Amino acid sequence: MLLTAFIISSAAHTQDSLAKQPLLDVNYFSYNNNIPYVQVMARLKQGRKFEPVKGVILKVYLDSISPSLLMTEKGVTDETGKADAAMPPSLQKEWNASAKHTFIAEASGVKEFEGEKALMEITKAKLLMDTATGSETKNIIVTLVALEDGKWTPVKDADMKIMIKRLGGDLTVGDEANYTTDSSGTVTAEFKRDSIPGDANGNIVLIAKVEDNDNYGNLSLEKTAKWGAPLAYHSALYERSLFATRDKAPIWLLFMAYFIIGIVWGTLIYLVFQIFKIKKLGKQAV
Amino acid sequence: MKITTQNKSKSFAVDTTITLTEEQISRDLYPQKFGIRGKIWTAILIAICLIGAYAYYLQLKEGLVVTHMRDYVSWGIYISNFVFFVAISLVGSLITAIFRLSNVRWSTPLTRIAEIIAVSAIVFASIIIVVDMGRPERFLNLFLHGRIQSPIMWDVIVIGTYFFISLLLLYLPLMPDLRILNRDPKKNPRFLNWLYHIGGSFWKGTKEQFRVSNRAITILCIVIIPVAFCIHTVTSWLFATTYRPGWDSTNFGAYFVSGAFLVGAGGVVVAMYIFRKSYNLEKYITVLHFEKMGRIVVLLALLYLYFNVNEYLVPAFKMKKPEEQHLTQLFAGEFAPVFWFAILIGMIIPIFILIFKKGRKPLPMFIAGIMIVIGAWFKRYLIVTPTLLHPFLPMNDVPESYKHYFPSWQEWAIAMGSLAGALLIITFFARVYPIIPMQETINEENEKAEPL
Repeated sequence: MLLTAFIISSAAHTQDSLAKQPLLDVNYFSYNNNIPYVQVMARLKQGRKFEPVKGVILKVYLDSISPSLLMTEKGVTDETGKADAAMPPSLQKEWNASAKHTFIAEASGVKEFEGEKALMEITKAKLLMDTATGSETKNIIVTLVALEDGKWTPVKDADMKIMIKRLGGDLTVGDEANYTTDSSGTVTAEFKRDSIPGDANGNIVLIAKVEDNDNYGNLSLEKTAKWGAPLAYHSALYERSLFATRDKAPIWLLFMAYFIIGIVWGTLIYLVFQIFKIKKLGKQAV
Repeated sequence: MKITTQNKSKSFAVDTTITLTEEQISRDLYPQKFGIRGKIWTAILIAICLIGAYAYYLQLKEGLVVTHMRDYVSWGIYISNFVFFVAISLVGSLITAIFRLSNVRWSTPLTRIAEIIAVSAIVFASIIIVVDMGRPERFLNLFLHGRIQSPIMWDVIVIGTYFFISLLLLYLPLMPDLRILNRDPKKNPRFLNWLYHIGGSFWKGTKEQFRVSNRAITILCIVIIPVAFCIHTVTSWLFATTYRPGWDSTNFGAYFVSGAFLVGAGGVVVAMYIFRKSYNLEKYITVLHFEKMGRIVVLLALLYLYFNVNEYLVPAFKMKKPEEQHLTQLFAGEFAPVFWFAILIGMIIPIFILIFKKGRKPLPMFIAGIMIVIGAWFKRYLIVTPTLLHPFLPMNDVPESYKHYFPSWQEWAIAMGSLAGALLIITFFARVYPIIPMQETINEENEKAEPL
């Protein structure tokens, strides 16, 4: 009897652990201190697995659930389970009125998410970046400031990343990837990648990021610096090569190909003439 | 005229004395109407071709979506079939050209069989490659915008050339036979008379005509050998010039050519047996021919096995990370049954059959030939498809179905239709023209009968 009870309770426990639990997350993003946007992510949690849910319809509000504070009415999650909502111009007044705001997401359209809500509270903050070139060193100075009582106040002990933006991902500027702001809200990172290729003028893009901060959300700021090695791009596309266009085939290949084709087809044409010769010989024999 | 033919060989202990007259040779080798079995065979082939044509109609209408080829496997059984056809077509050069230039006289009854196999295979190799294109009308773009740097372009050129050479090599030795076929128009249907007249009414059998013809055939035999090697080497380069597990090999050209010779020779053995039985050609395709072809086939099978050992053992010994999945799938994974089937049926078992003298009799040879041809078809499938399932950079977020491949019924129907089509060409050819060269056989019998 005990065993039966154990099996039933285990089965019930397993069923519970395998039940799909809807998860709705709101994230705040500010890129280059421009107009912010929020990203809502819909996932189903089953055991230890997270499965993105496509097709969840989202309403996103600023500060409270009211039609006049609606940021988006028809946000729909994509196959990664994400949907974005930018701050509309109509809410500029409400956005500027306060240093702290709350974003509220309301889901529908998918059974598991019907009536689900999620919110995120943020304090307005921004990043400032400057570069300093010394005789032997190059430094990147980034300051994180938050809006408090109408003033931009430095934020201390905040984590951030300072990187170089590359095509395949971001690259550290020196030995470290993560930095923490000091009492003046500032981080100084030494740039140690002098030989890194930049664009044709040697420009590279530096990027500072605050990620998933409980108070300020996700902030990022980019700045172009002429610290890279100028890249002289040499295109071989218009030179004769095996991978070029048809009119740029290598001379040796053209010679070889047409020589072989000429020899073989020349012989074949000669043989066709031999058939005509046989035909002529046949007529003469009559 | 009465001719006495002696096939005597101490080593093979075959001693057959056949008395053949020119009339008898002409009568024996004259194209015959289909019997009931021939009609059933032809009807089955036509039915398979029609099903294939319907499947192709569906593919044209709906697009390549009717196949199970997706982003991973973009070359399925169509391309496997293409490689198979190109491979089997190589036999024309082996039997006709190499043997003729080596003055191997016993191969005369087999030359036309080999040549028609080559022509029919190369025709369907060309057709199946167009079938593989979602938009067949774009084939024209290959000529308008083709790049000479691309191995695909080389393949188109060399296949076109090989087809033309094979046609000439089929036609030139046929001309004297057309004269024999033209002799008595009452024996032939009107259409065939017209065909024989168009093709060979000008052949009078003069010394000068024979001289020009023989010289042309010799030149063709010289030209066809490098072109035949090119056709399959270039086909192998379609794969080997692509950096992918299983294809990235310097062994591929020789590996393909040796495999092609094997499947071609196997195909000839099967055709020899069937024609011998169907048309009662025991006097012309003798036990000795099987004995000699058996020795050639076993040599080719051993050669191909050697290249297979090179192709698989060396990468397996190193087991480089990117190739590991591909090789494991072949040896012990999803493709292991097909892989070991192809190795055993296509090489090992035929070698064991043919290495013994009793195995080189017509029936065991026929069975071994069938095994070689079937094994070769699956071998081409294994060369083409598993590699595509294991790219160096797997794609993200593809549906699970993209990671596996099993052909749709339309693909099977088209592939089988093309095989049936090739057999149909051979069948109709044998109905219209003598499958064993008549004049050449007569000449050889005359030469043998002449006192030394």
